Amino acid sequence: MSEIPVIQVKDLSKTYRGSETPALNRISLSIPGNEIFGLLGPNGAGKTTTLHILCGFIKKDAGSVVMNGLTLEKNERDFKKIIGLVPQEIAVYESLTPVENLRFYGKMYGLEPERLNYRISECLALMSLEKSRNKLVKTFSGGMKRRLNLIAGILHEPSILFLDEPTVGVDVQSRTVILDHLKELNAKGMTIIYTSHYLEEAEQFCSTVAIIDAGQIIVSGRPKELIRSVDGCNSLEMLYLHITGRKLRDN
Amino acid sequence: MEKETLILIRDKAGLAILFLMPMFLIFVMTLIQDSTFKELDETQINILYLDLDGDSLGTGIENGLRSSGFFNVTTVGEDTGLNKENMNRRVAEGKFQIGILVESGATEAIRDKARSVIQNAFFGDQAEDLEKHGLMEPGKIVVYFDPVIKNSYKQTVMSALQNFTFNVEAKINFEYFADEVTQQLDTENKLKFDPEGGVIIEELYASTKFTEIVPNSVQHNVPAWTVFAMFFIIIPLTGNIIKERDSGSALRLRLIPGSYLVSMLAKAGLYVVVCLIQFVLMMVVGMYILPMFGTPALDPGGHRTALIVLAFAVALAATGYGIMLGTIATTHDQAASFGAVSVIILAALGGVWVPVFIMPGIMQTISTFSPLNWGLEGFYNIFLRGGGFPEIMKHLMLLIGFFILTVGVAFQYRRIRRI
Repeated sequence: MSEIPVIQVKDLSKTYRGSETPALNRISLSIPGNEIFGLLGPNGAGKTTTLHILCGFIKKDAGSVVMNGLTLEKNERDFKKIIGLVPQEIAVYESLTPVENLRFYGKMYGLEPERLNYRISECLALMSLEKSRNKLVKTFSGGMKRRLNLIAGILHEPSILFLDEPTVGVDVQSRTVILDHLKELNAKGMTIIYTSHYLEEAEQFCSTVAIIDAGQIIVSGRPKELIRSVDGCNSLEMLYLHITGRKLRDN
Repeated sequence: MEKETLILIRDKAGLAILFLMPMFLIFVMTLIQDSTFKELDETQINILYLDLDGDSLGTGIENGLRSSGFFNVTTVGEDTGLNKENMNRRVAEGKFQIGILVESGATEAIRDKARSVIQNAFFGDQAEDLEKHGLMEPGKIVVYFDPVIKNSYKQTVMSALQNFTFNVEAKINFEYFADEVTQQLDTENKLKFDPEGGVIIEELYASTKFTEIVPNSVQHNVPAWTVFAMFFIIIPLTGNIIKERDSGSALRLRLIPGSYLVSMLAKAGLYVVVCLIQFVLMMVVGMYILPMFGTPALDPGGHRTALIVLAFAVALAATGYGIMLGTIATTHDQAASFGAVSVIILAALGGVWVPVFIMPGIMQTISTFSPLNWGLEGFYNIFLRGGGFPEIMKHLMLLIGFFILTVGVAFQYRRIRRI
């Protein structure tokens, strides 16, 4: 893994209009290239706000974001070209086939027809959706939709991929296919920023994690090192509960 | 646009609603309004007629009512139970809108009056003073109205009755006058009564161009309900935008530079095409289907190109409004309910239900801000006034301006929302 940060976030702050408490309170992150970085935390901790600022969906109040040497404010268009997003929602059109969906997103990204057709066939094969390429998405199982959702986010071969709970609600087989493929992409040089509530999965999948709560990064580091740093902890889940407590979070 | 088209054509039920409902709307509304449009000149009013006079006035009124073609007259011969006492009840029961009772001696009263007038004119003080002898009781016609009858019907009947009565009176007066003149002049040549007046009234429809289009319910209603139906495109359009946003697809699109503009233009393009297809189908209903049900056929006027351009501008305005609502509304329910009610209000203000000219002054001013009014007035200029491009240019500019404004608001709102 490269030690040169691909994503450099410094003192990032955000308070939503009408809210008294900040969603993000001066958080700083330094994510090297080729990393699988897990951003973990309870509901309302600030994970989605962080992702949405990094994707340019919402504006930050303060701080700086630099990706691949590009500053967010000054290079928003170039910024967006190098990133991909797999949202938690199934962001594909149910009344279209996988090919039609991917052709639409590929065209929007400006992929050349030849390259687009190649990428569609390649990605569908990798995600075991080749046989269903011309079936309507609404006939798919949850796992198939999740796999297609992932393809739509990586079709244009971004160098940085944001994953917002990419395996929620899928069976073990689909989860394995998705995570294996993501590891392959990471091995080829893609930096992955990942959020999830599946801590066991995060422990296995991520090379680095940061635990965020109440808009602040509490700890960050290699999962195994973090686990070892707290007496009595033998899993990321135990560490997580130790840090964030057992109080229920409603938002 | 390929994606939007595929989504649309795969929703068979939605597609049917999109194209069949406007056709059905035009069909039903035009047929319903056909009768109200014809109320003063073509709808037959049911009249119960009792002639106790049995003389010139009674006969003259009955003949006048029957020959006018506006009334469906039932007399005592056709309703054997009819008499003076139960006439009021029969009308109140609602089977007849109007009951007319010509009292006994009504014609004789006219004759007495005519005789008195002539004698006074020719013999002055020596004339027999009929009024002094109590012979000048006026004849009487009693008219019963069903309480539900509209004032316009009432006015029509009263006007017709006065006309028929006046004709009979004029004839009787003239005949007395002619008899007297013949006697006074001691001649064989008797003056002849000519019921035709010395003046004829020519009825023409004002037009900026030469046109043979005759206003009728179809010419009025088809364009009005067409504009209304075209604006209802906002319901599926806002649904499409909000569904896309809720599904997360919009989030993904926001990551693609320039995709929002492309996506919205594709939606606008498709829904404008849908609106134009709706327009063509509604014209087909007016031109070919409605005539099968007894209405006149729609005459699309002589400026087809202007008509298509205007339909395109209306489609643009409706689509722009849908994009704006779909962008601002947070839920589909919100967009659907606000969208539907707002179109109904804009339609009412625009003159779809009630002509603008009979609205109160303040409402007439407000109506000029309704895009449905711009579309409707433009269509009326083509369908009823025989106008072409010069006559609809103002409406075209307003409709296209409305499209630019609404799409601009949608873009600006989306930009501001990115707080």
